[in-house]
Amino acid sequence: MATTITPATNTASFRSTVFTPQNHLFNCHINRRRRLVAAKGNSGDGDNGGSDSSSKTQPPSISLDDVNPVGLGRKSRQIFDEVWRKFSGLGQISRTSRTDESESLDALLIREGPMCEFAIPGAANTTVLVVGATSRIGRILIRKLMLRGYTVKALVRKADQEVVGMLPRSVEIVVGDVGDQSTLRTAVEGCNKIIYCATARSTVTADLNRVDYQGVYNLSKAFQDYNNRLAQLRAGKSSKSKLLLAKFKNADSLEGWEVRQGTYFQDVLATKYEAGMDAKFEYTDNGEAVFSGYVFTRGGYVELSKKLQLSLGSTLDRYEGLVFSVGGNGRSYAVILEAGPSADTTQSKLYFARISTKVGFCRVRVPFSSFRPVKPEDPPLDPFLVHTLTIRFEPRRQRTLDGPAGAKQDLRNFKLIFEYIKALPTGQETDFVLVSCTGLGVEPTRREQVLKAKRAGEDSLRRSGLGYTIIRPGPLKEEPGGQRALIFDQGNRITQGISCADVADICVKTLHDSTARNKSFDVCYEYVADQGKELYELVAHLPDKANNYLTPALSVLEKNT
Amino acid sequence: MAWRLPTTHKLHHHVAFSPTTTATGELSWRSNIAPSLLVSPSTSTSASVSLARKPHVRLSVRCATAAPVGAVNLAPGTPVRPTSILVVGATGTLGRQIVRRALDEGYDVRCLVRPRPAPADFLRDWGATVVNADLSKPETIPATLVGIHTVIDCATGRPEEPIKPVDWEGKVALIQSARAMGIQKYVFYSIHNCDKHPEVPLMEIKYCTEKFLQESGLNHIVIRLCGFMQGLIGQYAVPILEEKSVWGTDAPTRIAYMDTQDIARLTFIALRNEKINGKLLTFAGPRAWTTQEVITLCERLAGQDANVTTVPVSVLRFTRQLTRFFEWTNEVAGRLAFSEVLSSDTVFSSPMGDTYSLLGVDQKDIATLEKYLQDYFTNILKKLKDIKAQSKQTDIYF
Repeated sequence: MATTITPATNTASFRSTVFTPQNHLFNCHINRRRRLVAAKGNSGDGDNGGSDSSSKTQPPSISLDDVNPVGLGRKSRQIFDEVWRKFSGLGQISRTSRTDESESLDALLIREGPMCEFAIPGAANTTVLVVGATSRIGRILIRKLMLRGYTVKALVRKADQEVVGMLPRSVEIVVGDVGDQSTLRTAVEGCNKIIYCATARSTVTADLNRVDYQGVYNLSKAFQDYNNRLAQLRAGKSSKSKLLLAKFKNADSLEGWEVRQGTYFQDVLATKYEAGMDAKFEYTDNGEAVFSGYVFTRGGYVELSKKLQLSLGSTLDRYEGLVFSVGGNGRSYAVILEAGPSADTTQSKLYFARISTKVGFCRVRVPFSSFRPVKPEDPPLDPFLVHTLTIRFEPRRQRTLDGPAGAKQDLRNFKLIFEYIKALPTGQETDFVLVSCTGLGVEPTRREQVLKAKRAGEDSLRRSGLGYTIIRPGPLKEEPGGQRALIFDQGNRITQGISCADVADICVKTLHDSTARNKSFDVCYEYVADQGKELYELVAHLPDKANNYLTPALSVLEKNT
Repeated sequence: MAWRLPTTHKLHHHVAFSPTTTATGELSWRSNIAPSLLVSPSTSTSASVSLARKPHVRLSVRCATAAPVGAVNLAPGTPVRPTSILVVGATGTLGRQIVRRALDEGYDVRCLVRPRPAPADFLRDWGATVVNADLSKPETIPATLVGIHTVIDCATGRPEEPIKPVDWEGKVALIQSARAMGIQKYVFYSIHNCDKHPEVPLMEIKYCTEKFLQESGLNHIVIRLCGFMQGLIGQYAVPILEEKSVWGTDAPTRIAYMDTQDIARLTFIALRNEKINGKLLTFAGPRAWTTQEVITLCERLAGQDANVTTVPVSVLRFTRQLTRFFEWTNEVAGRLAFSEVLSSDTVFSSPMGDTYSLLGVDQKDIATLEKYLQDYFTNILKKLKDIKAQSKQTDIYF
């Protein structure tokens, strides 16, 4: 039975031979349906079907086009096809029948995907840069990202046929090398997240250093630079912008800061015989705000303090830490935050964190999470309530500096030059996912070197200021994921392997999981501990469709380790 | 069939598929398929002009590959990675979900698709490899099986084309090739109750393929399916929303529709379970529905009445009988054959408790039709509202 007729062959003679049997069929169906409709009465559904058939037999208004035999034939054929398709569809085992129909379904069910179990809201607006796209994890990772509707960029060293063939076609390929800063600048362009699963091909130290350490450092720096550029473009209004707390660019900016001194002991004798202490905060002629002085008193300290005045609408809870841009002679200080209702300062609680500076200028980041209450029974710091910032110098706990001058220096005097103090913006999500390793799979002779490079890379990422997640999987296995329960742990205690697919799955899940931000963890398959060796309670989670295993697994783990 | 021993001896594949061996292989398949077809032509698809209804003859199933095939190279080859799978019928409703699930679980997926002008881009975009082959051309099959561990066969001929070349001859060729190439697992999707309705050509063919597969000696899993929820969208949900007429039957047949994403998920759990080798599983949805119930559910969720045209099953059967009389409508009769099943009050459902416990799946993870259709309507009504809101805005500006 001929089912397709192109308009070109749609001649009268052709129609008469091919269409006749069909028209015969057509008529007999229509008749039967009419009978049926009559039997059912006016249930409304007959109108639609009836108009289909009557439109062929009785055209409402007659023009030349309507009586054109070719047009009529085509029209009746369309109507017939539609009716026949539905009719015969009833007698079939259900399948999607027409291609145009399934196309429109695809758009809803598959690509945009509210109906798709893989769909992640927000994935469409997220661009992920995958470094190490051709690695065992990377290959699976890219597929997973594509399935979920992410825009994916892949950084490859060479875009040759073999590599390109390995990647899905809609992945944007960026040629570059993690060892080369300049190529990374274009790679991070337009990216929201980075997943780094590249690893050195050999265990030669130079290679390790280049990929596992320098690569992470370069890329996190390039990404941070890119974010900063964006923040500048949006005139400090972007969510990536830091909040300026104090900038010391003229003498007026010293206003509000007060210098205080005190001692930890109420030891009258000590203060009497020792030389005491002195400190001043001044704006020098060469444009520097200098806090300097000396403390010879045992147990004494000097501090510089200011009541923070935040502009309306901005509170510190949207930020995750402080950054000091300071110079000086490399002493360490205590940063003290006073938090409590600003109306009643007697209820204020004190929180402190130690910072150490270098000789010369440097930037010091202090996350709010590293502040500890002065009284141990106080609750942890709530940045929302912070109203006063204090920087305290005390001669105790200073470490001697290296170098020839170090030994001769008197650790009791100090000099701290302030440039600015800013609050670091918080992010709910992780920006940079790094796949590191536990070192179990590496041959023992090189393990030391491999781990050293990996740890250095991890450290540079932690210091970069990006939201990070560091995943240290056990030895990788090439097998399908989602089969066995996983253990998430911290502290290098795991012994088992894990499949590449599971690691890739964890990478994808961490992208939008706020519990994964700023965490480092080990992960491996569940294992049964030997009798009597059950030292730790390790929480195992089975990956499954219904449960999101990552959030509960990670919420028990420590941040910023 | 683990006669591919894991050694590092290389180039086995290349040796096995030098032009000469391929040629002999091709001949042997031809000769294997031919006898079984000559012996037993199926009633409905054979071009007979006789007016009387012939007594039904079953296709006799013979696995010719039980005898040694000349092209088989028993030398140990490169071990095949267990993560490499071939999906046949990857562009279909079920096939695409299989591909997606497989990719997500970390398999390397190769898709066998027919060469066509508009290629299946979405498969490549997801990261699958697409190879062109046609089941109705057996010589194109073996090359696609190189380096494959598992074959998942979810292909079925399109409704508008004759059933036999793809569904029977093509499948036989595929299974024989798989046997010859040492494929280590073969998953075949069949239809529930296919053994009870030999009068429906597709179901008969599926049943015969099951038998053929069992006798082929391949390590296999047969999964019988009832109905796909995804199919209901085009059949009922879309016409109701577009206020077009919906055609239904008054058949009392109940079908336990299942989400294809669940089918794909359970398939891979079954695939990895060594205990399920050679078994026949039936996947059914949580509840069996009649056509009328589905339409009522759609109406309720869409918040509007459907334009239902109910065709009594007797009419369908009558049409089928009528079309069987003529040679040129025989294909039509074949397609309408399911009406025979509809007229009996068969229930396409099966208790899933054992299957769930065998696979270690929780029943609450299986999507119900109510939930599925509700999701669909919520999403689509929201989208329609957005479009309307947008068009209103443009009205103001222009």
